[in-house]
Amino acid sequence: MNTDSSHIFSDEEKDILQEIMNIAFGNATADLGEVIDIYVELSAPSIQILGIGDIPDYLTDRMKLHPETSIVAQNFWGDFKGYGILVLPNRTGRSLIAILDDGEPNDFEMKPIAGQEREVLMEVGNILIGACVGKVCELLNTFVTYTPPQVIHENSNEYSSFVDSFDPSQTAILMETVFRFKAIDINGLLLVITSQEAIEWLRKALYEFMEPYE
Amino acid sequence: MIKKILIVDDSPIARKMLKMCIPKDKEYEIYEAVDGLESINKYQEILPDVTFMDLTMPEFDGYQAIAEIRKISDDAIIVVTTADVQRKSISRVIELGAFLVLKKPLKQKNVQETLIKVENALENRSGGK
Repeated sequence: MNTDSSHIFSDEEKDILQEIMNIAFGNATADLGEVIDIYVELSAPSIQILGIGDIPDYLTDRMKLHPETSIVAQNFWGDFKGYGILVLPNRTGRSLIAILDDGEPNDFEMKPIAGQEREVLMEVGNILIGACVGKVCELLNTFVTYTPPQVIHENSNEYSSFVDSFDPSQTAILMETVFRFKAIDINGLLLVITSQEAIEWLRKALYEFMEPYE
Repeated sequence: MIKKILIVDDSPIARKMLKMCIPKDKEYEIYEAVDGLESINKYQEILPDVTFMDLTMPEFDGYQAIAEIRKISDDAIIVVTTADVQRKSISRVIELGAFLVLKKPLKQKNVQETLIKVENALENRSGGK
């Protein structure tokens, strides 16, 4: 799937972006820890250049890590433009609800379990994607606007519509971080995908970020 | 007095950023390792006065490396440089014996203040002997 992409993004540019993603995801997990008492084990992020048309296959491949998978997806746009996608096994929502359960009845717990799971996933996705993309923007001195997060189950019509929305003629930079919710023994991954039109801006912003260190 | 500094990070950019934050006029000897395993071998080889250690690295991470280095030397001064600023991560590295934790992205001022703290710790240590 990976072709020679050095003309699109050099190794040095990938290294800078990888470090920025590392910083951003670290901050995002700390933000999540303020809301839910959960520790997240992190791994080093990876950066790949892909055709956007390859992303559905890539997602399908990554979702094979779990028997049934859900994604939380959020678009963002500005100078930095693309998608944030959180991939998690289906049981994550239920496990997170158990962590949030403080024994006090409330409106949230009156909802059907499927609704609760969807809301928890949406909130976790919103925090991780928002905090991660937000930190990238802060470091690169820009800002973006987000669509509301949507929870999409694998093999659903929504999922087909979601992957059909990718323009196969475009190139994307894909940033991936694998993580683990330690207390509930669940692995997930966060993908941040930039659209082709953001690549030129991104390259310039990366060098501006490094200027104080040159 | 600090003579030798070991920088441990899998990211070449992170290592470069840290090196640029270290004052040039002090003429420190700077060594680098790209993961936790290499850091242990380098530590034994050069016995640095201070080690800057990333946490999130493939294969052998910073937590494992800190524990192993502390087995080699109880006196090892390890400054953790990390983007993982979760409270549990910070308390875990402090329990492992880290001297200080610096949040990424590193700032020149913070790195220089840290080096002064390390100098003071080394002076107190040699004065006490």
